[in-house]
Amino acid sequence: MHEIIELEKRWYRYKLKKFLNKAMIFLSVALAIFLIYYFVFNKNANDEDSVKSYIANMFNFSKSTMKEKKEVEEVVIQKSEESNKSIEIAQTTPHTDVALMPIIPVIDMAKEERIKQTRKPRVKRTKPAVRKHHPKLVKAKPNSSLTAKELSTISKVKPVTQATKVEPHVTKKINFQTTTINYIETMKKKFIKSKNPRDAILISKALYKKRNYAKAEAWALTANKLSKNLEESWLLFAKSKAKQGKKQEAINILASYYQKSKSAKAKGLIEQIKRGNF
Amino acid sequence: MSNPYKGLKEIFIDSVNKNNYVELESATFNYSLLESSLKKPLKMILLFGKPGTGKSMLLNKLYHNLKEHSEIHFFDAPILSEKAFLRQIYESMSGQEIPENLRVNFDGLLKYCQNLKDKREVVFLLDECQLYSEALMEKIRLLSDTRVVKFVITLHKTEDEDIIAKEHFKTRIWEVIEMQNADEYDLELYIQKKMIKKGYIEISNTIKKRDMRYIHNFTQGNFRETNKYLYTIFDIYEYYIENEPKKIAKGKFSKKILEMAAIRLGYINA
Repeated sequence: MHEIIELEKRWYRYKLKKFLNKAMIFLSVALAIFLIYYFVFNKNANDEDSVKSYIANMFNFSKSTMKEKKEVEEVVIQKSEESNKSIEIAQTTPHTDVALMPIIPVIDMAKEERIKQTRKPRVKRTKPAVRKHHPKLVKAKPNSSLTAKELSTISKVKPVTQATKVEPHVTKKINFQTTTINYIETMKKKFIKSKNPRDAILISKALYKKRNYAKAEAWALTANKLSKNLEESWLLFAKSKAKQGKKQEAINILASYYQKSKSAKAKGLIEQIKRGNF
Repeated sequence: MSNPYKGLKEIFIDSVNKNNYVELESATFNYSLLESSLKKPLKMILLFGKPGTGKSMLLNKLYHNLKEHSEIHFFDAPILSEKAFLRQIYESMSGQEIPENLRVNFDGLLKYCQNLKDKREVVFLLDECQLYSEALMEKIRLLSDTRVVKFVITLHKTEDEDIIAKEHFKTRIWEVIEMQNADEYDLELYIQKKMIKKGYIEISNTIKKRDMRYIHNFTQGNFRETNKYLYTIFDIYEYYIENEPKKIAKGKFSKKILEMAAIRLGYINA
C-alpha cells in the first residue's frame, strides 16, 4: 500500500517536471519567434547593424526606470541652462547616447499632460513669400511662439510694422539676416525658461537652415529627450546626421522610428537618403 | 463485488504454458515454417531471436502438437552437465532408466544412434542453447550427423555476439528461423486475445489504440516485457479499486496508472 502511495508521489513529481519542461520549451520557442521577427524586420530595412543596436537599446531600456528618466530630464534642463557652452561641448565630444535616445519608444504621459496644460496657443505661421505681399502677416514671421515684447527686443532696427513703408524686397532681406541670429539666441533664452521641446525644435530648425548641422542635431536630441513623440525631432535629428555624412546612422534612427510610428514622412526620408537624393 | 483486476493480473504472469499461447499472425507463420522444416532432411534447426520474442512458447507449442504422433522430446531447461545430458538423451530414446551409478558413454550413444539409421527419427527440442558449453555443442553436432537425431535449438540473439557465426554451427545443414518482436498491431492482438480468452472483455474494450501505442513504445513489442508491464498496471489497478476507487475513472483506461507502472518498472525516469 505504502509502495503505491510512494509511487503516486513520484508520478506527481514526474508530471510537474514534464509540465515545466513543456513550459520551458514554449517560452524558448516564443523567444525565438520574437527574435526572428525583429531580425526579419531589420533585414527588410537592409541594415544588419540596426538589429544589434535595436536589441541593445531594448535591453538598456528595460533596465531603466521612470525615476531614471526623470533624472535624465533634469540633466537635460541643466545642460540647457548652460546652453551655449554645453552645445559647444556636445559638438566636440562624441554622442554615445545619441543613437540610443531617439529610438526609445516611450511616452511619458504625465509629462505630456503637463506640457499640454502649459503650452501656449499656437500662432499660425506664414510663408515668407506671403509676407512679402502681406506686410501685416510679417509680424508672425520670426517666431510663432514669441510674444510681442520679445519681438521688440529681437531687432534693433525698426519694427517690422514700420518696414512696410520701405521697399518690401530690400527691408525684408536685412531683417531676415539680423533676426535669424537674434532669433536663435532669444529662443535659447526662452527655452531655458519654458523647457518646451517645441522651442528646442525651432532652434534646431533654425540651426539646420543655417547649415549648422552638429548643433541642429544636438537641439533635436534635446527636444526628443523632452518629448519622444514629436516627429519633427526625429526627422531633424536624422536629417542633421545625414547632412554630416552619417547616412547609415540616420537610416537606423528613421527605421526605428518608422517601426514605432509607421510615419510616411520617416519612410520617405529613408528612401531619399538611400537613393542619395537627400 | 470482487476485484476483477486480481484475476486479470494473473494472466500476465510470464510462464511457458501451452494454454497461454496466443495465435498471432507472425507466430503462426513461424510455427508453420518450423513444422515444415522438421519434415526436411535437416540435422539442426536454429530458432533465434531476442529474449522475450516467443521462442520457448513456440517450442512448447510444437512439442504439444507433435508429441502424439512423433518421437519428440522437449528439454525446456538447459542440462549443463554433459553426463546428465547424455543420460537424458539415451533415456528419452531408449525409454529405459539408467541406474544412478552408471553413466552413458558418448561413443556408445553414437553407435546406438547409427544402428537406428533409417529405422527411427527422433526430434529433440533444446531451449536456451547459448548456455551449453562448446564441447557439448560439438557432441550435439556429432549426434545430429547420424541423421537419426534431429535437434531444434533456440538461441538468444545478442547485440555484441553473432552466435550464428560460431564455428560449430557453420558447417551444419540447417534451417534458421528468426523470431522478432511484435509490431503494434500484433501486440494489440496479443493483449486483447489474452484478456478475452479469460473473459475480461469489458476491460479489454477500454484499452484504446493510443494506450496500446504507449505500451508498445516501452516494451518494443517484447512479449516478456509486455507481460511484466501489464501485470504491474493491473496490480496498481487492483490497489485503487480496493482502496481509492474515486481516483480511477470508470470505463476508461487510466493514463495515470500506465505512467505509474512505467515509473515503477523504470521505463520512465521520475
